[in-house]
Amino acid sequence: MSNQVKDIFPVLIENAAALVLYLDLDGKVALCNKKTQSMVGLSRTQIIGKNWLKVLFRNKNSSLRGDMFKAVLDDALTYKRSKDFQCHLSGKNDDLRLVSWNITPILDKNDRVQGSLLLGLDITSFRERENSLKNIDDSLKNIISSINEYALYVINLDGLITYFGMGCEKMFGYTKPQIIFKHVGILHNVNKAAFELSLIFEKVRQSGRYESEMELFTRQGQAIPVRMTVNRFLDADGKLTGYIFIAKDITETKKLEYQVFQAEKLAALGQLSAGMAHEINNPLFVISGRLEILKQEKIAPEYREVLDLIDSQATRIRKLVDRILKFSRKSTLTLDKVDINQIIDLALPLVNDSQLPARKVEIIKSFAGNLPKVLGDPDQLQEVFLNMIINAYQAMPGGGLIKITTSNFENLYAQVQITDSGVGIPAANFKNIFMPFFSTKGKGTGLGLSICHNIIKSHNGSIELESQINQGTTFTIKLPFA
Amino acid sequence: MLYKILIVDDEAPVRDLLVDLFKKEDCQTVACGTGQEALNKLATESFDVVLLDIKLAEMSGLDLLENIRHKYTDMPVVMITGFGFDEELICKSKQYGCCGYIAKNMPVVQIIDTFKRLVKEAKEKGCSR
Repeated sequence: MSNQVKDIFPVLIENAAALVLYLDLDGKVALCNKKTQSMVGLSRTQIIGKNWLKVLFRNKNSSLRGDMFKAVLDDALTYKRSKDFQCHLSGKNDDLRLVSWNITPILDKNDRVQGSLLLGLDITSFRERENSLKNIDDSLKNIISSINEYALYVINLDGLITYFGMGCEKMFGYTKPQIIFKHVGILHNVNKAAFELSLIFEKVRQSGRYESEMELFTRQGQAIPVRMTVNRFLDADGKLTGYIFIAKDITETKKLEYQVFQAEKLAALGQLSAGMAHEINNPLFVISGRLEILKQEKIAPEYREVLDLIDSQATRIRKLVDRILKFSRKSTLTLDKVDINQIIDLALPLVNDSQLPARKVEIIKSFAGNLPKVLGDPDQLQEVFLNMIINAYQAMPGGGLIKITTSNFENLYAQVQITDSGVGIPAANFKNIFMPFFSTKGKGTGLGLSICHNIIKSHNGSIELESQINQGTTFTIKLPFA
Repeated sequence: MLYKILIVDDEAPVRDLLVDLFKKEDCQTVACGTGQEALNKLATESFDVVLLDIKLAEMSGLDLLENIRHKYTDMPVVMITGFGFDEELICKSKQYGCCGYIAKNMPVVQIIDTFKRLVKEAKEKGCSR
């Protein structure tokens, strides 16, 4: 080292942007630089020769920090090793600065401690930036995790999932370790995966983006309707390295769409059946009327039998048309404030009639007390519950249990659940269950549930079902409180 | 003769059947297929009751009912329909002042009985309403 450079060394220390202090063995400050003076707000003469603790921790509130610092310093001196320490320092105007300290014992030739060097860096602004970044990061995490109908994942060019982001675990039921580096096809229908993915990749290659509705599958194999957006994933040089998938769960939208579609379909069917019923009723009336007149004539016995047969078949048509009209009718509701529990109680005795074959069926009622009343037509609602209970009965050829539960749903609806322990309804039949003439019972007209559906809809209510094969079916009816 | 009935229905087979059914009940019948025809008949002949189909080709049954009510205040009118017991239609018919309502999908015997009962009640009241 040349002399010139040696001379400049004290100048460097004096002007360094760090606090530099040299303490003697008694803990008195022997040397300090400019930065130290400006940080503690004292002049050099006020500092030199003073106990270092009284210089750095003059403030009464800071004595605890001083004690901790002293412990670290003693440790460094005792074990003759360098130590790091972070603490706040009350600077000028008592503003708190965060300082990161390094304490180094200075040894003489005989390895004896002769003093200690304190080097302090003001890291206040650095920490503030770090904190604000952390805050942004935290709030982003919060925002993303609160949008739980979205799932974001990334795949590489081999189709392997490289990022399984927020919302993914919740939507698909896989944990990250279970799915990272698995092929993305795992989220698709096994038979359609190859086709769907090649379509997506082709579209993204062509236009940079793919957007469409499709079905993805959870780990449990349950289909989720999603609105899928796929974009290119580029590296810093703009090279394609994969694809970003954003899937939005649209189950609720689909459900609403389906309900509207269903309601429109039923309304159209209602109109059609009303027209048809009327057209059938006229000729049928002529047939029945002419028969009636004919039956009063003198007729050979063998023809009388034929007439009776024609009569009974005409009656059959008449009854069917009656049911169709009932389904199609926009009947006027005679509205009243009604107690749903009471309506069900009135419907129950009507179930035990001769139409039903003898079976061991137990009915358990679990009614909510203090259930507010609903605005409804008592006769029509009674017909609904009667129908539902008979259905439940018929679903259990070997007997079983019918559970009827009423409850207050979010202070908005009276909820009635009718659960049987019967054969269940295959999922494929769910969409047809409320359609007129849909029946799996082999008898009856298949109009019962569609009539129930219409009645509940005209009460601004809803009717839904859940079913498990061989375990049973639950119908849930919600009617708004009056 | 029990009653003299004006039967209004636009379908000939239905009309003919009603004529034959009520003849057997010792009623005299006059049948026509349109509202205008019916008004012409009412202007020239007297009737005990009008049996009127709600759905007619030109003037609707309800319009005709209103017309009759306007000109022949006390004339009993019984409505008959292929729509079954449609509450909306029943309501409207009642508003327009018919004295009863018969559905074509009722058993024939019941149709005749109901008709006779309705006319009897109307006559007893001395007023159709």
